[in-house]
Amino acid sequence: MGLVKRVLTLREGSIIVVTLVTFAYFAISTSNFATGGSFKALLPYFAPLAMIAAGEVFVMILGEIDLSVGAVYLFTPFIWHVLHHAGIPLYPSIILAVLVAMGIGAINGIFVAYVGIASFVATLGMLFLLDGLALVISHSTPIQVPGTSISGVTSFGQIFGGGTYSELFWAIGIVIILQIVLSFSRWGLYTVSVGSNRLAAAEAGVRTRMITIRNFVLCAGIAGFVGILEVVRVTSATPDPSGSNTILLQVVAAAIIGGTLMTGGDGTIVGAFIGALFLGILTEGLTIKGVSANYLDLYLGIAILIAMTLNTIVRRVRTGAGRA
Amino acid sequence: MPDQAFAGEQIVGPSTADDDVLRVEHIAKRFGPITALRDVNLHLRKGEVLGLLGDNGAGKSTLVKIICGFQKQDAGSMWLKGEPYVPKSVLDARAHGIDVVYQDLALIDQLSVYHNLFLRREAVFSPIPVLNNLRMRREARKALDEIGIHIPDIRAPVARLSGGQRQAIAVARAMTGDADILLLDEPLAAMGAREGALILDVISELKEQGNVSIIMILHNYVTVFQACDRVSLIQDGVIALDKPTSETSVEELTEIVVEEYRRARQAEHAANAAAVTAEHTADAKQGDGAEGGNGAQGSEGDAAGGAGAGPPRAE
Repeated sequence: MGLVKRVLTLREGSIIVVTLVTFAYFAISTSNFATGGSFKALLPYFAPLAMIAAGEVFVMILGEIDLSVGAVYLFTPFIWHVLHHAGIPLYPSIILAVLVAMGIGAINGIFVAYVGIASFVATLGMLFLLDGLALVISHSTPIQVPGTSISGVTSFGQIFGGGTYSELFWAIGIVIILQIVLSFSRWGLYTVSVGSNRLAAAEAGVRTRMITIRNFVLCAGIAGFVGILEVVRVTSATPDPSGSNTILLQVVAAAIIGGTLMTGGDGTIVGAFIGALFLGILTEGLTIKGVSANYLDLYLGIAILIAMTLNTIVRRVRTGAGRA
Repeated sequence: MPDQAFAGEQIVGPSTADDDVLRVEHIAKRFGPITALRDVNLHLRKGEVLGLLGDNGAGKSTLVKIICGFQKQDAGSMWLKGEPYVPKSVLDARAHGIDVVYQDLALIDQLSVYHNLFLRREAVFSPIPVLNNLRMRREARKALDEIGIHIPDIRAPVARLSGGQRQAIAVARAMTGDADILLLDEPLAAMGAREGALILDVISELKEQGNVSIIMILHNYVTVFQACDRVSLIQDGVIALDKPTSETSVEELTEIVVEEYRRARQAEHAANAAAVTAEHTADAKQGDGAEGGNGAQGSEGDAAGGAGAGPPRAE
């Protein structure tokens, strides 16, 4: 009981339980789910989500949302391609491309913090703008990604997304670092303060606008970097806005399932990681169970609603709070 | 209208003493069409507890927010220990030794008691910017014990505390910051009798030590005479009275406030009467004009609306 109680009192407790139950269900009901092969298969699905969700959680704790993460994820590889073609070497061009992504985040943040546009609207505008820009600069045609080869994974590719566990290592690294930043640094403390009570934070001397911009920069920077990892993994980049917007919705789903509040003031990076893992297990499990592709999204939707319901009930039990 | 002084109104000019730590001269502040402060002069002597009184909306909180660097005045100047004082931010004011307890307490519900106590003054394992929670917890416990505030679990989020405990945390936060000027915006609001007495004890203890000067916004006149050396009364954006508490009384303060209320009511009556007369004149003129019945009816509606909106306070 002691251990169970301690897990449940964690903010991530409910999603840990829900994920374990889901995993157990597929492990028992199918013969080949609990194998290394299916784990490898779900990695590319969940690792990018976990990373982008880590950045999104920083924005969501502020009580804001960044709808442009999918578009930044789509757009950044094309900027990288353009920079590399302009003669900038591989690694500097990656750094520059991620800086461009961070610049996009800064623009989002300035719109929200200084112009005073709701983040939903500001980043929605940015979403369309970047999707459009990706189509324009790519002339709507796929590109061969710098530093990769179709004949095999290059040593560069091994590190930056192409290796089997490359994205998993990046994801674990990013999640650990950002969870430490969130829980044990001033930045994290101020992020929670701004999301919990913006006026009080300002009165106490927290520079609320600076924190807002900084978190949008972080969020977009990660989304751009993950975009690069993903195109290196598949060695080509396709300007497909619908795919990137699916990523956006899954990122938000992972963050919320993981225990981050949409109203701000509370959130967890590790929870979002497990939320992404849950989505990965669900998709992979349903696929292995042989669910028809037509039914996949249907079951996914139902499962997300059930998971969120369990999540909410467990949280209510944990905090002892009723429903207002 | 707010810019013209009423007949017989007393505005207290800048008064000073040799041991002033803070002087506020001719401070004015507007928010759009609303004038919060017109011309405020205030001084605070070393080791003194100054009570700031005034009705709701008189501008007390605005004045405190200007002194603590949260807002900037439109006009006027401030002096800190004889030097010009222009706070750039709350942190800048804090660096100058001025700390504040806001009326809304400025506490972060989701953060723990000790994180709230140390917000913007966090201890870290420098040079690594990682929070030293252990040290903050130890120092928070010590500070709360010294003040005599009992919080069973300082790791609990502030959201779980009672109103009085929250107030006590906010006061403790201001007092642990080594400030030599404390601004307290209604420190006794939301407090039970015991907790209120505790805060007053803490204040009198600070006074005995003689290093800290305090400006306290209060509503309760009796508390003013219990806790303050001097009282300033803000009315309609100016200081209408500034006296040592030993030279005034609850009756005098009440009289000034009630007098002001009556004067405002009369002025409002007069203004409404004038407005109604003006509208009637306009109606009459329009009725004579080419527009005929319809135009006149519309105006009558307006006039009724204007008169109706005016005097609900004066029944």
